[in-house]
Amino acid sequence: MPVAASAIYFLNLRGDVLINRTYRDDVGGNMVDAFRTHIMQTKELGNCPVRQIGGCSFVYMRISNVYIVIVVSSNANVACGFKFVVEAVALFKSYFGGAFDEDAIRNNFVLIYELLDEIMDFGYPQNLSPEILKLYITQEGVRSPFSSKPKDKPVPNATLQVTGAVGWRREGLSYKKNEVFLDIVESVNLLMSSKGNVLRCDVTGKVLMKCFLSGMPDLKLGLNDKLGLEKESEMKSRPAKSGKTIELDDVTFHQCVNLTRFNSEKTVSFVPPDGEFELMKYRITEGVNLPFRVLPTIKELGRTRMEVNVKVKSVFGAKMFALGVVVKIPVPKQTAKTNFQVTSGRAKYNPSIDCLVWKIRKFPGQTESTLSAEIELISTMGEKKSWTRPPIQMEFQVPMFTASGLRVRFLKVWEKSGYNTVEWVRYITKAGSYEIRC
Amino acid sequence: IVGVFFFHLSTHETPPVNQNISTILAAPSSDLSSILSDRVTSRWFLLRWISRRTNSNHISTATISAMPPPAASSRYPSPSQPSGKSEVTDLKSQLRQLAGSRAPGVDDSKRDLFKKVISYMTIGIDVSSVFGEMVMCSATSDIVLKKMCYLYVGNYAKGNPDLSLLTINFLQRDCKDEDPMIRGLALRSLCSLRVPNLVEYLLGPLGSGLKDNNSYVRTIAVTGVLKLYHISASTCIDAEFPATLKSLMLHDSDAQVVANCLAALQEIWSLEASHSEEACREKESLLSKPLIYYFLNRIKEFNEWAQCLILELAVKYVPSDSNDIFDIMNLLEDRLQHANGAVVLATVKVFLQLTLSMTDVHQQVYERIKSPLLTLVSSGSPEQSYAILSHLHLLVVRAPFIFASDYKHFYCQYNEPSYVKKLKLEMLTAIANESNTYEIVTELCEYAANVDIEIARESIRAVGKIALQQYDVNAIVDRLLQFLEMEKDYVTAETLVLVKDLLRKHPQWSHDCISVVGGISSKNIQEPKAKAALIWMLGEYAQDMSDAPYILENLIENWEEEHSAEVRLHLLTAAMKCFFKRAPETQKALGIALAAGIADFHQDVHDRALFYYRVLQYDVHVAERVVSPPQQAVSAFADTQSSEIKDRIFDEFNSLSVIYQKPSYIFTDKEHRGPFEFSDELGSTSITPEVSSDIVPAQQFEANDKDLLLSTDEKDDNKGLSSNNGSAYTAPYESSNISSQMQELAISGPAASATTTQSSFDFDDLLGLGLSTAPAPTPSPPLLKLNARAALDPRAFQQKWRQLPISLSQEYSVNPQGIAALTVPQSLIKHMQSHSIHCIASGGQSPNFKFFFFAQKEAEPLDYLTECIINSSSAKAQIKVKADEQSTSQAFATVFETALSKFGMP
Repeated sequence: MPVAASAIYFLNLRGDVLINRTYRDDVGGNMVDAFRTHIMQTKELGNCPVRQIGGCSFVYMRISNVYIVIVVSSNANVACGFKFVVEAVALFKSYFGGAFDEDAIRNNFVLIYELLDEIMDFGYPQNLSPEILKLYITQEGVRSPFSSKPKDKPVPNATLQVTGAVGWRREGLSYKKNEVFLDIVESVNLLMSSKGNVLRCDVTGKVLMKCFLSGMPDLKLGLNDKLGLEKESEMKSRPAKSGKTIELDDVTFHQCVNLTRFNSEKTVSFVPPDGEFELMKYRITEGVNLPFRVLPTIKELGRTRMEVNVKVKSVFGAKMFALGVVVKIPVPKQTAKTNFQVTSGRAKYNPSIDCLVWKIRKFPGQTESTLSAEIELISTMGEKKSWTRPPIQMEFQVPMFTASGLRVRFLKVWEKSGYNTVEWVRYITKAGSYEIRC
Repeated sequence: IVGVFFFHLSTHETPPVNQNISTILAAPSSDLSSILSDRVTSRWFLLRWISRRTNSNHISTATISAMPPPAASSRYPSPSQPSGKSEVTDLKSQLRQLAGSRAPGVDDSKRDLFKKVISYMTIGIDVSSVFGEMVMCSATSDIVLKKMCYLYVGNYAKGNPDLSLLTINFLQRDCKDEDPMIRGLALRSLCSLRVPNLVEYLLGPLGSGLKDNNSYVRTIAVTGVLKLYHISASTCIDAEFPATLKSLMLHDSDAQVVANCLAALQEIWSLEASHSEEACREKESLLSKPLIYYFLNRIKEFNEWAQCLILELAVKYVPSDSNDIFDIMNLLEDRLQHANGAVVLATVKVFLQLTLSMTDVHQQVYERIKSPLLTLVSSGSPEQSYAILSHLHLLVVRAPFIFASDYKHFYCQYNEPSYVKKLKLEMLTAIANESNTYEIVTELCEYAANVDIEIARESIRAVGKIALQQYDVNAIVDRLLQFLEMEKDYVTAETLVLVKDLLRKHPQWSHDCISVVGGISSKNIQEPKAKAALIWMLGEYAQDMSDAPYILENLIENWEEEHSAEVRLHLLTAAMKCFFKRAPETQKALGIALAAGIADFHQDVHDRALFYYRVLQYDVHVAERVVSPPQQAVSAFADTQSSEIKDRIFDEFNSLSVIYQKPSYIFTDKEHRGPFEFSDELGSTSITPEVSSDIVPAQQFEANDKDLLLSTDEKDDNKGLSSNNGSAYTAPYESSNISSQMQELAISGPAASATTTQSSFDFDDLLGLGLSTAPAPTPSPPLLKLNARAALDPRAFQQKWRQLPISLSQEYSVNPQGIAALTVPQSLIKHMQSHSIHCIASGGQSPNFKFFFFAQKEAEPLDYLTECIINSSSAKAQIKVKADEQSTSQAFATVFETALSKFGMP
């Protein structure tokens, strides 16, 4: 039985129950105490997100300063449980408009109870789509959508929409100005050895959309991915245009995308939900353009001195620039004094994370920047342990650049009324876990 | 809440305040957050202000309670909660005042009070005493009020069955409300009361709910039927709700209704199946081809969660031919691209299970699902990745070669939580082969320098495991030896243990290793395991290490400082081995060691020392043959999990079993849960957290885990030695000659006579394991006659099962005819009954069935209880017998086996 949860608890960091909801009777009421004593107050916390205590399994995750704990006693479907929690939190966020934390829960606990009641029944997840729930659970909750309507009118039932072919979109939407915003957000993960070899590198990308379109539009998105282009040239029986094509390792789509059509024609066609949503996710491992190269040299001079030299090179187009570049260079715990010289930006020693933090607000393409530092260490007696050098970590954002080289070729909007739409496309590449060993 | 508040202000007619608020609201909303915070602060201020002005007015008190109430609890130290008695009494009187009132605005005051009640309920204050008042206040058209009231009632009805009768009335009335929303909510609450003697009131509303023209109400009614079944199965069956659900499932236009029907029917029928053949047939019919295709063809109409449900159903479907398999796979192919990881994983399970019998396609499936799974791992929170990684881990271990080229995906990131890193390390170990070992080991060596000591240790162990898997260990040995040069205690400790294991398997490397190991000072090693490893090597390679006797002597002189029994045991053995190789240098040390060992308080140490002493006294050459025979390389270390258990976990893909790496019966059956059961005491200990109380259960758990390991090992043994196994228990017959030998060996000693009879059992077992000489045929047990009309009620069975120890556990193969006949549990139950073995409970689905049988000895009220787990894919049956009379349990097992072997025979 793919039961996702028998009970769900929201706890703050001290273990106080903020909200709890029991769905099935197979778990006792004192389960949360067990969680507190055996997981929260021990080293277990953060050791493993699934634990069994006395016949019950606790599946938990921390989101901001709240622990969300699912309790089950049967052999439940864990992946479903975690996904449920994530989706539920997304739903709450869309209701509160912003942060999900202890205060938000305290301020909205009646609403959360209402939602918890709707999104799961007897352990089986029901409908978690904010678009539909918002039709009949309103933040004020002052009136039922049904009672306010005149009686003779057929009741527009929110739940009926689930059955329709397009469950994620309401009918009869209308905007004065029809606009579509498309964001391609990529995060680059890199692991580079101290010798400069790329050990592991991949890009996970998301296509985020914001739609303000009237009626029931049909959208078609064309990307420069290899499969799609090949299929297209095959269908139109003309040779593919030269230019860079991207090989996507794997793609997943929002439920609105017609997957059958994607598999047969390799085109992404869909009727979008209203407002903001994540259209697709992809992963690429081949042919990644790394935006930055980092060349570190760290010399340990005796027991009390160190010399650190880090050169960062931007290898994207000269007209582009990166924003919010942060380079975290780890130093030993017993660092006493640091002296820096940087060619751009600012550096600081942060003893709480044992790092030199070097920030560069704007980093133009095809340039390089260096930091050289001298570090004095407190000499420790009998300390034999050599320092385990953690990797240098980097954060950045490069607008108008995609590490994968992915480009939007077209975005077609078709609606029966034939209105004109304005399409906006943005690209941005961020650092995922960008690690360079030294 | 601000809106609500507004209303109060106007009823109070406090103009200055009102203005204040409206100015705030009128402010240009450029910076929303600052306004919000403004609003909040001003509200606090205002509230205080009002309460000062209009004391003694109940509405104003209510207004104050509109402050987010749980915030009040943050004053209290965690996790103890206030009793809140005075607050509850206060609430009670306020509610009472409002109950009859029809004044405008009364709903809002009620709402605030209700909020307060709910918030108290949440933080654990018992507010059940206001039950009556809550019910009285529930006459309202305000939907939020109703919802809060339903929540409250649902929470407390179970504990107050008498009071819940009060609610029936208003809930039943609401079930007929014109607003479908209210109808649905009321029906849900009505079914959630969970009071057994109120079920009769459920039937009417449920029946009409199922026929409601609004799908929202129908979805709720369907789940309501399932809830009713759990409260009172017979009522639910008698009202023929399952049949109604079935027709709804096939004909309803709403996907969610259909999905809930499916969930409810699956649950009801699998629970019913154990005692009703009809339910069993119905359960089977859910897996019929037309129904499966009906669902799979419509799968896109369902939401993501319902899709999981359908996919889970499809897993159990037995396809008729390969075309069938390919049809389903083509239908579901695109589900692998779904954004919801749960759907992807469920699809993966369908693909894997469908193709189990087609090796080539199965392998292609692995290739196909690889990339979606890897994507899921890299997206989402660490907890989600962990869940997916656990599944990937299972697949990687099953088919390492398919993932061999993807090893880079399993490299750890610096900031990943350790539970993710651990899994990744295990996977790297599993997929290491000739082509990627170098890269993987290089990477693992990086982790050995990790800040997180636990991960560093794990990675060293991983390197060691790879070394033990590979034929070409040359380079890895160098790496291991480099670890020893890192001069970190824990690295050295782990490495020593590994070098020891490596030498046991590849003695040819001794030369390189010993020279390095010899240079390690034993003073730097504190961990017992590592010390034991070092001492083992000193003993084993005493002839190659010049100062081995002196190091040992040194260690033996500090015998008292050595607290671990493991180390002392190893010291004794090492001293013996060393003595046989370099007698003059070791003699003195050995003497000291034996003396200290015999005087040791630890039983094992004492016994071993005494044994060595006597063997030496008897004949030194015999002693050498016993203690230090020529070295034998270990060809393979025992696997901790049998392949059968692994298969069972694989069958339970996409569930907790995969995360725990245990089959589900271990952690869901009550008897397997071990000594640590939940009790109320736990609640009390939780209030006063003590360090000791935290540690003890954890240890118990560890012990429990070890227990599990032991039992699986045992099963392994059983498989190999099913013929010998029985003999171990009837040892007294043929072990007498061995024990007499023992007595010869043991020259004389105070404890000798007491221990020999005890140890003869172990000895016999040991010999049975070590040598393949089959012991004399087991004397055939007297034939056991069973009572054909035995009776035992389930409760008595449960009680006995808990009390009695397992007297026998065995594994048989079931003949193919039997497997073929075992399509439903009932067939076997009938068959066994004809052999006077009765079934008390059964369950499971193909391929795993589980039965509990009992039988009674004829003419005597002695019961035999048996748990029988049959896996139809591996054609194995595992039985555990518990008997009132231990001595005849073997005889019973024989009867059982004979009966089982006849199953399926014409």
